[in-house]
Amino acid sequence: MIADNAWLDGLIRMGIIALAMPLSVIILTYLERKISGRLQQRLGPMRVGPYGILQGLADTVKLLTKEDLRPQTADRWTFELAPFAVMVPVFLAFVTLPFTADLFVRNLGLGLFFIVAVSGVSVVGFVMAGWGSDNKYALLGGARAAAQLISYEIPLVLAVVAVAMIAYTPEAGRGSLNLVEIVDGQGRVPFIVWQPLAFFIFLVAGLAELYRQPFDIPVAESEVVGGPFIEYSGIRWSMFQMAEFVSMVLISVLAALLFLGGWNWPLGNGAGIALQLPLIFVKTSFFILLFIWLRFSLPRLRIDQMMQFCWQVLLPFALLQIIINGWVLVYGWPDWTLGVSSGALTLVAGYLTYRAARQAAEQPVSPRLHRVGSVL
Amino acid sequence: MLGVLKAIKTTISTALRKPVTVQYPSVKKELPHRSRGLPVLLWDFDVEEPFCTGCQVCARYCPVDCMTVTMKDNPLFAEGKSKRKKIVDKFYIDYARCMRCDICVEVCNFDAIVMNNTWEGVELSRYDRHDLVLDVDQLMDQSKSGELKDPFREPMGVAHAGWAPKVRSEEEKEAVAAKEESGEE
Repeated sequence: MIADNAWLDGLIRMGIIALAMPLSVIILTYLERKISGRLQQRLGPMRVGPYGILQGLADTVKLLTKEDLRPQTADRWTFELAPFAVMVPVFLAFVTLPFTADLFVRNLGLGLFFIVAVSGVSVVGFVMAGWGSDNKYALLGGARAAAQLISYEIPLVLAVVAVAMIAYTPEAGRGSLNLVEIVDGQGRVPFIVWQPLAFFIFLVAGLAELYRQPFDIPVAESEVVGGPFIEYSGIRWSMFQMAEFVSMVLISVLAALLFLGGWNWPLGNGAGIALQLPLIFVKTSFFILLFIWLRFSLPRLRIDQMMQFCWQVLLPFALLQIIINGWVLVYGWPDWTLGVSSGALTLVAGYLTYRAARQAAEQPVSPRLHRVGSVL
Repeated sequence: MLGVLKAIKTTISTALRKPVTVQYPSVKKELPHRSRGLPVLLWDFDVEEPFCTGCQVCARYCPVDCMTVTMKDNPLFAEGKSKRKKIVDKFYIDYARCMRCDICVEVCNFDAIVMNNTWEGVELSRYDRHDLVLDVDQLMDQSKSGELKDPFREPMGVAHAGWAPKVRSEEEKEAVAAKEESGEE
């Protein structure tokens, strides 16, 4: 407890989150530009401040002072409220996201469920932005965003469920949706060892949830000119951008908590906040850097390839993972069977995808798929 | 699938290399020797006068008519210091018109004009386009001050050696300095 009053305590904690998030966005924009520069043998921003470290701040000022334009034919309230509809759910998810054993706003018993449910709402904002802009590219982008999010939400949730099933604490027993308990169960071995398949599914589906390359189909510049954001400028556009970066932090923290043992592994639960905070920071940064790194390495997928991968690879294997976890739990097999089965499944999934990609590369795309790809 | 690993390997190995970009206005890459900026005139350090005799061959061959040249009798020839009977009087080049075709350099009989291969021959932003019409002093300035290092001319460089600033010994420098001082007084 920071303050005695429960309301005051909650408000202060939320205030910290609300201040930390824009700050992290400023840092991440700078970091992303800098890293992208280095990955392409450029210098990145160098002018504002030493090594351009004030670039994020300069961008912020620029965006805040820019004119907030609204197209004349736009659906006014849909257009103006869309950025909020995108940003608010992302921030809501942080209400229950624990950073260390006692640094969170509120530790909900169904925390994981809450995060997954709430972060899925933001697709409404994308569709609103697409519809309200009165722009065909925006509408296309909005439709693509909806299609992609709905498809990838499912393997993401299933991967999360697979982890929640095997979470174990002596007090609560098997299975938990409480994020603190899930992390507590990873004192000896992080779940990435027991559930590598769920980890990869979570990573890929998370990447798709973030609309980042190679899954940036809804916001693809060369196809739909930025998708739902096309008519936005200034503060509203920056809200979309902020939501994107904050949800990147969200997915990264979540991945660190679920699969890398959060603050617990390898230092143990007893370590103070001074050790736990750097630990979770390092793990989160690893995922953020990985996402940025992947963004500038991989080409964009076609929409039919993306959908195929989701429904034909991720979804069946996520279900398979859950079924195997169920067997292991029901028959009380030792933990290592989880790791072995999941690892074997990962290899199988990898091989199948590899073979399918090879075959697809050899065959010409059928005209029907061409049409599907061009419509959505 | 394996392509993904290959791609991230490629990007990370690229990131470990030195960036190829430089901080342009403050750091400049060295221009190639044959870099073709805008034409400038050369100064003959042997005789302390321009190479250009004002023969107008460049102005006549110029496809965009960006040059204006006039000729006068050379006063140094009358004094017997120079072998040039005629020398350039006025020389204007409109840099806004010039298309850097190099023809003036090729036709010049006296190797008096070269394409500027320094950054000054490329960085030409001006607030007023009339400032882009350079007169003979401005065209000669770079060569005269020795900034024009190693000018290039097809096929094997400037034929004569007079363009190079004379490297003076210490005594000569002092003598010149003394002469300049007395001249000022």
